[in-house]
Amino acid sequence: MPHCTPEDLGLAALREPLDRDSAAHLAGCATCRTDVARLRRAVDVLAVPELADPGPPVAPPPGLWAGIAGATGVVTAPRPDVVAASAPPAGPVPDALPVPMTAPPDASAPDAPLAPVVPLRPRRSRLLPAAAAALVGLGIGAGGVLLTDRGDGDGGVPVAAAALDPLEGSDASGSAEVVEREDGTRVLRVELSADAPAEGYYEAWLLDESVSGLIPLGVVRAGTEDFELPEGLDLGEYPVVDVSVEPLDGDPAHSGVSVARGLLDT
Amino acid sequence: MPAGAAEPDDDEVGRRFAAGDEQALAWAYERYAARVHGMAVRAFGPGPDAEDVTQQVFVSAWTGRAGFRPEQGPLPAWLTGVCRHKIADTWARRDKQRRATEAAIADAQAGPARGSAPVDAAVADRVLLLGELDRLGQPQRGIIELAFFADLTHTQIAERTGLPLGTVKSHIRRTLERLRDRLEVDGAALHA
Repeated sequence: MPHCTPEDLGLAALREPLDRDSAAHLAGCATCRTDVARLRRAVDVLAVPELADPGPPVAPPPGLWAGIAGATGVVTAPRPDVVAASAPPAGPVPDALPVPMTAPPDASAPDAPLAPVVPLRPRRSRLLPAAAAALVGLGIGAGGVLLTDRGDGDGGVPVAAAALDPLEGSDASGSAEVVEREDGTRVLRVELSADAPAEGYYEAWLLDESVSGLIPLGVVRAGTEDFELPEGLDLGEYPVVDVSVEPLDGDPAHSGVSVARGLLDT
Repeated sequence: MPAGAAEPDDDEVGRRFAAGDEQALAWAYERYAARVHGMAVRAFGPGPDAEDVTQQVFVSAWTGRAGFRPEQGPLPAWLTGVCRHKIADTWARRDKQRRATEAAIADAQAGPARGSAPVDAAVADRVLLLGELDRLGQPQRGIIELAFFADLTHTQIAERTGLPLGTVKSHIRRTLERLRDRLEVDGAALHA
């Protein structure tokens, strides 16, 4: 009985059944069995379940894209609803729940990762390229915004203003101004002109110029909205007014999807 | 996103991805991120490791898109290959951390068992052999991937690819010999 063919040795290494004669020979031939064992090591190294072709899809959590955008600098973004719909909802076993736990953004600790969800880079880094681009164009334009006292009875005096320019792919625009009341407290008044987002809601933020710190202000709709500013907030440190679209996902961090932005001229 | 804009088919997304069209990256994410993330979750469970892998796959795929050849296979299959690398790299990184920790403990104890903790041979060999797969041309690579990762027999591979049975068998044999040689020369297990 001749030895197994090299082809048969390969198939045996893959644990495919051989024809009867070859199988019988292999069973009794130490040389061929050694050859199979040497070939099989590669099979055992690579043919493991973890590396197998994709199994059931699992929708990535909504914040994941921000890290990709931050690392690549791309300014396009996938539609969150399309991504969410790309995998069936988790069954009775909640094995695809978005990872719990994001601490709210903490502007006082800019080095702390905002959320363990985005280990590659803090999710806010998504803002960097767009912010840099937006700020370049704003240096002159912002000064042209009229500071007007609305005279709506709160005795406020406008102390800073910004034009909110649409970011790429957005039709949102508007203006923002900081009004100081007689008692020294301040509000940010955002006037937004935008269609309602297809999904989620708009949120207003103040960012620092490097976009490494951000302060959430609250939900904003088309029209005019006032946001109380924290006492002691240095507008020189956080001069960028940003409006983002936030999915209703319970994640307090910035989605990375900004629609309009402007620089306050303080 | 302009409403009603025509959605390109998968081939078109692949071509535009290769050409560096940023919109193609967003489309690829919409279409394939759940497959990639499903693999990552299968390997590490839901959580930061899986999310890190999924992120790295898309970042690497984009920055390394010059290595994607649309004529050699569809984009999702290529992303799957990138994902295998990232999973194996994550295992290797964890193993490195484990060894560093064990070395620190051994140092602290200053016991007789000092010396570096052994590399997890299977982990190191996976990284090695995935790299070797990258060097295979077609159809060899597609054939061995169907055998390894889709668990198809050579008969099923012949049906799937339309290649003659004898061709499939000889490609499998030659690729396994090549991987064996790589392991025996550079593999961790035989050098541990």
